[in-house]
Amino acid sequence: MGGLKDSLRDAIKQLAFRTSVDRLKKQGVTQVNVLGLDRIAALIEAAVHRSLKSRLVGADRDVVADATKAEFLRLLRSNEDLQREKTETERMRERAEEELDALRRELSQQQSALKLKLERPDPAAAGRWQGEDGTIAGKVAAVVHALAQHGASSADDLRTRLTELVMDVVSDERRVAEVARKALADRDVEAMQRRIEKLTESLSMTEHKLQQLSAQRSLDTGISSIYREVQGLAPGDARAETKQGMMTAILEANLRLQKRGTA
Amino acid sequence: MSDKNTKDAKTHGVLYIGMDLGTSRTSVSASNGVRETVFSVVGYPKDVVSQKLLKKDVLFGKEALEKRLSLRMYKPLEKGVLKYTGEAKDTEAKANLKAAQDLIGEAIRLAKPRADELVYCVIGAPAEASVKNREAIVEAAKAHVDAVMLCSEPFSVAYGMEMLEDVLVVDIGAGTTDLCRMHGTMPEEADQIMFDVAGDAVDADLAKRIEQSCPGAQFTVQMVKDLKERWGFVGDAPEKCLVELPVDGKPTQFDLTDQIRAACSILIDPICKGITKLIATFDPEFQARLKNRVLLAGGGSMIRGLDTAIEKAMKERLGGGKVLRIEEPIYGGANGALKIAHDMPADFWEQLR
Repeated sequence: MGGLKDSLRDAIKQLAFRTSVDRLKKQGVTQVNVLGLDRIAALIEAAVHRSLKSRLVGADRDVVADATKAEFLRLLRSNEDLQREKTETERMRERAEEELDALRRELSQQQSALKLKLERPDPAAAGRWQGEDGTIAGKVAAVVHALAQHGASSADDLRTRLTELVMDVVSDERRVAEVARKALADRDVEAMQRRIEKLTESLSMTEHKLQQLSAQRSLDTGISSIYREVQGLAPGDARAETKQGMMTAILEANLRLQKRGTA
Repeated sequence: MSDKNTKDAKTHGVLYIGMDLGTSRTSVSASNGVRETVFSVVGYPKDVVSQKLLKKDVLFGKEALEKRLSLRMYKPLEKGVLKYTGEAKDTEAKANLKAAQDLIGEAIRLAKPRADELVYCVIGAPAEASVKNREAIVEAAKAHVDAVMLCSEPFSVAYGMEMLEDVLVVDIGAGTTDLCRMHGTMPEEADQIMFDVAGDAVDADLAKRIEQSCPGAQFTVQMVKDLKERWGFVGDAPEKCLVELPVDGKPTQFDLTDQIRAACSILIDPICKGITKLIATFDPEFQARLKNRVLLAGGGSMIRGLDTAIEKAMKERLGGGKVLRIEEPIYGGANGALKIAHDMPADFWEQLR
C-alpha cells in the first residue's frame, strides 16, 4: 500500500491550488490551520482502510485494495485527459458563443432594416412625380399661353383639357414605372428575407452546437459505481421472498404505466 | 440512452440512482457514493441580456433562488405532484412540464453517472400522483437513464429502513404529509392517507402569525421557510427564537418563540388523526405492534419535539405508542429508492429498457 500513499500525495498536490498570504489577508483570513500533506494522505488511507474493513467483511481485502488502487490511478490519468478535453471544449464553446452573438446582432440589424424598408414610404418617388407633374403643367401652360396669343375660345378650358390629355399619357408611364419600382423593392425585400432566413438557420445551428458543447462540458467522466454487474436480491436475505413479491408488484405497476405511455 | 451503440458501450458497470422528487427538495443517492439535494426550483433567463450575464440557459435550486430577479422562476411541483394535468395546453402548464423535466435531468446529472455505465433509477413519487403525472416523470427520466421505475414515497422510506412489516410511515414533506401502513406486502390504497397540512402549510401559518404580531416586519416566503428550518419546534422551547427581520430597512430583533411553536403544532392533530385511522382499521392482533412502530420521515420530521408531541397525543387517543425518527430525513426517501433499485433483479430492469 506504499504506492497508494505516494499516489495520494501526488493527487493532493495536483488538486491543491496555490495562494499567497497577502491574498488570504485580503479575503479577511488572518489565521489558518495547517495540516501536513503526509497527515492528509494518512487520514485518507486510514479512512479507506476503515471503510473497507467495515463494508467488506469476508471479502479479500488485498484484492479490493489493489483494484481500488488501479481505479484510483486510472482516474488520475483520465483526469489529465479530461482537463485537456475540457480546455478544448471551453475554447470551442467560447468560439460558438462569439459566433452566436455576431449572428444575433446581424439578424437583429437585418430585421430592423427590413422593417424600416417596409414601413417607410418612397420619398424619392413622390418627389420625382411632383417634379414631372410640375414640368408637364409648365409645358401645358406654355401651350395655353401660345394658343391664347393666337386667340383661343377659353384658355382655362383649354388648359384643363390639355392637362387631362397629358396626365392620361403620363399615368400609363407611371403605372409601368411603379410596377418596375415595386418589383425592384420586392426583390430587395425578398433578398433580405432570404438573408434573414439563412441567418436564423445558422443561428439555430450555432445554438444547437452550443447546446451540444454545453452538454459536453459535463464531459467529466463521472464517478464509478461500486457495482460492475446488476445486483438483485441477495440470496441470503432473510426476507428475500417478501421482497421478491414487492419487486414483482413494483415492476408490474411500472410495466403497466410505461406500456400505457408508449401505446 | 436507448441507442443500441450506447447500450453496447455500457460495459463499465451499473449505477443505481434513488431519487426523492419532492415539492421543496429533490434528493438523489447513488451507488457511486454521491448524495445530493437540490431545491425543486428552476429558473430560465428572462431575456438575452440576463442569459448573456448568467451564461446559462437554465439554473436550479439555490443558484436559481439567488439570481431569481433575472429569471423566470418555476416551482414545478405542488402538493407533492407535478403542476401538470396531462394536457399541457396553456403556456404555463407547458413551461411547468419543461421545468419538471429539466429538474429531473439535473438531479440525475448531480449523481455524476459515467457515460459507459448502465444507469438504473428508482424515483419515489407520491401515491396520489395521477397516471399522466407519473408518465411525465418517467418520460423526463428516460431521457437520461437506461431504465426507470416509480414507487410510492413512504414505501421507499420503509424499504430503505428494512421495516417492511407492521410499520406506519409518516412522511412529512413540503406539499403533503403521507401516511403509509406496511404489512409485508405492497401497500394498497386503504393503507395510505395523504393530506396537505405539511411544510408549506406551516410556512403559511407562520407568515400569518409574524404579520399579525410583528408590525412592519418585512419577509419573504423563503425567509419564513429558513426560519422554520432553523428554529422549528413543538412543545417546550429548547431556546428563545430571537430573529432579526428588517423594519423599514433596519434589522430589528423579534422573539418568535410562540409563533414558531404554534405554527409547527398545526401538524400534530392531522397526523394523529391519520395514525388513529390507520391503526384502528388494522388487524386487531397487530395493532399494538403497529402503534409502537411509527416512523417519522421527510423534512418536516426535523421539527424538534415533534416525535414526543405525537407520542403524547397518541397516548391520549390510542393509549400509547412509540415514534421513531429516521436518521436522515432529507435522504430517507432517496436511500430507500436506491435500495429498491439495488434489489430489483436484472431481468426486471431488462423489461423496462
